[in-house]
Amino acid sequence: MKKGLQLALGILTAIGGFFDIGNLVTAAQAGATFRFQLLWPLLLGTIIVIFLVEMSGRFAAMSGKTIPEAVREHFGVRFWAVPFVVLVLLHLLTLAAEIGGIAFAMQLVTGIAFQAWVLPIGILIWLFLWRATFSAIEYSTASLGLVTLCFVVAAVMLHPPRADVLSGMLPSLPTDDAAKYWLYAVSIVGALIAPYLFYFYSSGAVEDEWDRTYVGVNRAVAVMGMSFGAVITAGLIVAAAMVLHPRHIGVESINQVAFVLTDTFPAWGFTLFAVSMAIACLGAALEVALSLAYTVSQTFGWRWGEDLEPAKDARFAMAYTCGVLLASLVMLLGLDPLKLTIYTMALNAMMLPVVSVPFLLLMNDGRIMHDRRNGPISNTAAALIVVLSFVLFVVSIPLVMLGS
Amino acid sequence: MHVMRELLDKQIVDREEEPVGRVDGIVAELRAGQPPRIVQFEVGFVPMARRIHRGLEGWSEKWHKRFGIRRSARYHIAWDDVIEENVHHIKVDVTAEETVAYDWERWLRRHVIGRIPGATREE
Repeated sequence: MKKGLQLALGILTAIGGFFDIGNLVTAAQAGATFRFQLLWPLLLGTIIVIFLVEMSGRFAAMSGKTIPEAVREHFGVRFWAVPFVVLVLLHLLTLAAEIGGIAFAMQLVTGIAFQAWVLPIGILIWLFLWRATFSAIEYSTASLGLVTLCFVVAAVMLHPPRADVLSGMLPSLPTDDAAKYWLYAVSIVGALIAPYLFYFYSSGAVEDEWDRTYVGVNRAVAVMGMSFGAVITAGLIVAAAMVLHPRHIGVESINQVAFVLTDTFPAWGFTLFAVSMAIACLGAALEVALSLAYTVSQTFGWRWGEDLEPAKDARFAMAYTCGVLLASLVMLLGLDPLKLTIYTMALNAMMLPVVSVPFLLLMNDGRIMHDRRNGPISNTAAALIVVLSFVLFVVSIPLVMLGS
Repeated sequence: MHVMRELLDKQIVDREEEPVGRVDGIVAELRAGQPPRIVQFEVGFVPMARRIHRGLEGWSEKWHKRFGIRRSARYHIAWDDVIEENVHHIKVDVTAEETVAYDWERWLRRHVIGRIPGATREE
């Protein structure tokens, strides 16, 4: 019974953690510009994310360790130092983008410029982290995150041409604007495979004291939670294709994305969009800030845990406090949240080899994983992920330069 | 040398299994005709920085001297204090809270984190 409940809550959490500013922006741009043609990177990214999330949960359940600590222990600090610094910066940029997303949602509803919202939102995020336990954060943002199902409702009610949607699931070559097409494709994958997702998930499994009896629950959470998350993202691509594309709205700013819901929900579509964006970004911001504190604390071997009172793990609390402060300052510099998101997502894609390769090697270490090592299916998937990650590594920076 | 590589970067815990830090460096004694013998572990940013890059070591040493929160940049734990060593951690016969490795933790608690309301949660 307890596991059944955890399964349900786990799936909710997975949906909540999946959909954030990155998915929102990349999906809306993809739909608005290329209609259904970029559904396939979403499908591909979801398959990758299912495998990686399943593996990070299984790893935590079997070893009691999270990914950052295991990578430092097994590959040494010389290997880990540079990726660690880059990952910390990437966490800060992602957190800044999420804060920007909430601030923009507030601007949509109130009309007050988003810069004015940055600091209050930073304080709100920090207060959540300061006061709440891990489960409280996990379940509150997860259940509120269900509001993002409105994109799926909109997509269904807009009656998209079924054949076009299905053909979009298959990879295809762009007919025009190839640089933008591939930048969006890479950004969609980058938004899905953001490192914070795996680090947060594996640390959460350790916080919830998973052991080997959770391997089954973990698999179900990974498959169902990530698939539901992908359905929401697909809903947004389809809605953007149906509403924004015919009107030639290319999503130059986040404001324009809000129109995706106004055809279906004329009276309150705008507000619903703002609420969905604010909740999705708030949930993600909490996860990113925690993931940052987890990564730093685990790398240095400090005491860590969101369930401990801040005075018991002062360095951990200091890590997320500084993270939220710095990310808020980045947003206050006046960066465009839309551009920041696109670049951060491409950087996420670039970091995939560093995140995935050492981790995938550890998944085959019998001393850690015992009888739950990767089987042939997981290892085939892992090999494909490694190949793809190197492709993404090579193409992401040139694409950002060309596409912008 | 293989043993040393296994030990480096491992999590060190105290007798209550509270985290102390990681094995950032190892001090070994070279013996003629015999394999080197591990004398102590080092815990701290400075020994860790040395393993990453020599220049980083000097920089972090300067940083340590300037702020001087930690009593010493290198916290040494004698090999003789090791109670248990397994795949997960190295357990040593100390109390984490009282060690040099917790100087920053205690300083932050006293001067920053502990001063903010809600730093301790009532059950």
